[in-house]
Amino acid sequence: MSNEFVLKIENLTKTYSMGKRCVSPLVDLDLEVRKGEFISVMGPSGSGKTTLLNIIGCIDRASEGRVFLGEVDVAGLSESRLCKIRRDRIGFVFQSFNLLSYLNARENVELAMELAGKFGGQRRQRALELLSMVGLSGREQHRPARLSQGEQQRVAIARALANEPALILADEPTGNLDVVNKQEIVRLLVDLNERRGTTIIVVTHDEAVAAQTRRMMYLKDGKILEKNNRQANRGNFDEGLTREVFEK
Amino acid sequence: MGILTRASRSIQRRKTKSLIAIVALTLALTMIIILPPSINARQNFTQKAIDHLAWNSDILKDMVTLSATEIECNYPITMNMAPSDVEGKMIWSKHQPLINEILRDSIASIPDVVDLIPILLDHASNDRAYVIYGVPIDDASIHKVPTLLPINITQGRNLQAGDRGVVVLDEWLAQKLGASVGETVTILDHPFTVIGIEGQYPQYYEVGSRVTMSLPDAQVLVNATGSASTYKIFVNSVDSVNTVVTRLKNLDPTLNVVAGFFELNIAQSLQNQIDALNDVAQSNFNQIRITGMTEMGVAVVTNVVVILFIMLYSVRERTREIGTLKAMGASTSKVLGQFILEGVILNVIAVVLAIGISIFFTTYVSSLILPTPIQTSVSIGWDPSGTLVLGHYSFGDQPIRPGQESSNLIGASITPWVMLFGLGVAVCLGVFGSLYPALRAAQIKPAEAMRFDE
Repeated sequence: MSNEFVLKIENLTKTYSMGKRCVSPLVDLDLEVRKGEFISVMGPSGSGKTTLLNIIGCIDRASEGRVFLGEVDVAGLSESRLCKIRRDRIGFVFQSFNLLSYLNARENVELAMELAGKFGGQRRQRALELLSMVGLSGREQHRPARLSQGEQQRVAIARALANEPALILADEPTGNLDVVNKQEIVRLLVDLNERRGTTIIVVTHDEAVAAQTRRMMYLKDGKILEKNNRQANRGNFDEGLTREVFEK
Repeated sequence: MGILTRASRSIQRRKTKSLIAIVALTLALTMIIILPPSINARQNFTQKAIDHLAWNSDILKDMVTLSATEIECNYPITMNMAPSDVEGKMIWSKHQPLINEILRDSIASIPDVVDLIPILLDHASNDRAYVIYGVPIDDASIHKVPTLLPINITQGRNLQAGDRGVVVLDEWLAQKLGASVGETVTILDHPFTVIGIEGQYPQYYEVGSRVTMSLPDAQVLVNATGSASTYKIFVNSVDSVNTVVTRLKNLDPTLNVVAGFFELNIAQSLQNQIDALNDVAQSNFNQIRITGMTEMGVAVVTNVVVILFIMLYSVRERTREIGTLKAMGASTSKVLGQFILEGVILNVIAVVLAIGISIFFTTYVSSLILPTPIQTSVSIGWDPSGTLVLGHYSFGDQPIRPGQESSNLIGASITPWVMLFGLGVAVCLGVFGSLYPALRAAQIKPAEAMRFDE
């Protein structure tokens, strides 16, 4: 892990108007993320986890405060600049995978590169490498419907890595998976973080998943409670571990 | 794997919906492809009918002008129904006594008679389905009556002064005898060289066809040297007509004597009939055009609406997909492009099918969706009593012969230009119809799209 900041959030407030009522899931929030970190964000439903992830991923805007991705303050950027940042610097992994059902595994991975303007041969080669890396060699031609849920999420992870983003944002990546697949996906994310130094922020309800990360955050009343998890017990999915850490 | 692959795979994935949309689009595009050439074909058809009416109207005017000082005399025709060995059908067998040289000289000696034009018409009989028609081609006065000589030579040339041993056949007879210009045909055991073919032969009160030759040749052929079946007599002024008619009746009370002068009212009434028919043809064509344009409008609107709805449905159905694409950094133009392309692909598939249908079924489909153009025209002639009449007959691309059915089907061809036009229209309507849904897709906010249907 280097000292270089991948993400820096200062005084972030997000306010929604719901009819006559205003709701602020995030209030005056600060966060710094260094290159190579693996962070989990937990919290009850409606605590603003996904909102935070969306703002970091430039698909939603902050009401107040500043959000730096690298050196760039994204708060005031135009939609087309945000689109470029999403394409080049962010990789999304969604709970329901969000693969295009009419494209096969390789094409789904290639799609991210095509949007970034990369050329055919180069795209294809990298897509095959990434699928091999996530353990899907030989499954490149399969469409999502012919892949297990775990395999679909692997394709989604390969797709998120396609443009070598500075940051992977995973929103409940194991939310739709059974125990076996959940463990495999978490292992894959841990592996990516440890071996390739990929910076990852995971939003999750699952304490066992959060327990695998180095920094665990808990969103409460629009603020972050944070705990270093130096004892991260990789591979041991103890449901009680995270709660214990925060209770201390 | 580019935008085109994505668009076509997306269409393939929604098989049933795409198929229903393509069927509707194909029907609309078939109309769009078929209508312009069909309207055009009907316009040409109607124009031919109108031209033909105008042509007859001109002849009528000439006749009226000349007939003011013209008297026609002949003996009445007796008609019998008899079988024809040529046509294999029953035909009218006619007999007409001829006017001999003595009577001719008496007519010529009547004061105020300035010209005398003999014509020999030997009618069709049970062994010959055509008329032998002898014209005094050496006599300059025959040009006073423009319709005496064939007026519609389509091949070769017309008869001229000095011609002997040559004939002009009408198209039907030429085809029947297998003769073309320059070839020799045998008429009543005599050889003749065909020098010309005449087009449509007016069908008034004549069943059969005609061969036109010089009067001397015709007289030899029917063994009637010096005789004629009809004389056209021209007098020096309109004031002399009544006197000459009386003198002719005195020469032989059985003679059929008709003065053109007496026919002016009839001619005016015939002209009115032609004008009325012309109005019918014009209004008929206007109706075809209005119907065609309305149907064209309906087809265009249907095409656009089908694309609009199928694409709007597609955008709604694929909100998450659009959100994902935008989250992955797809620009507005890429999302816009993909949805417009999908609309265009649907319409291009439909237009290919529509062109296929049009190639085979244009004639039948156009007869179902457009009114039938006017099918009748007229020809001017005289009935056996010598009164000027209009013969109505079915009009088509080909002259209608006895026994031939007229058809309501007007052929229109799908040329490569029509196909290109169809393709161009399909692409334009595809873009137009999918523009609004594509704009809606491009404006979807990814954060909202991700919450959709959750």
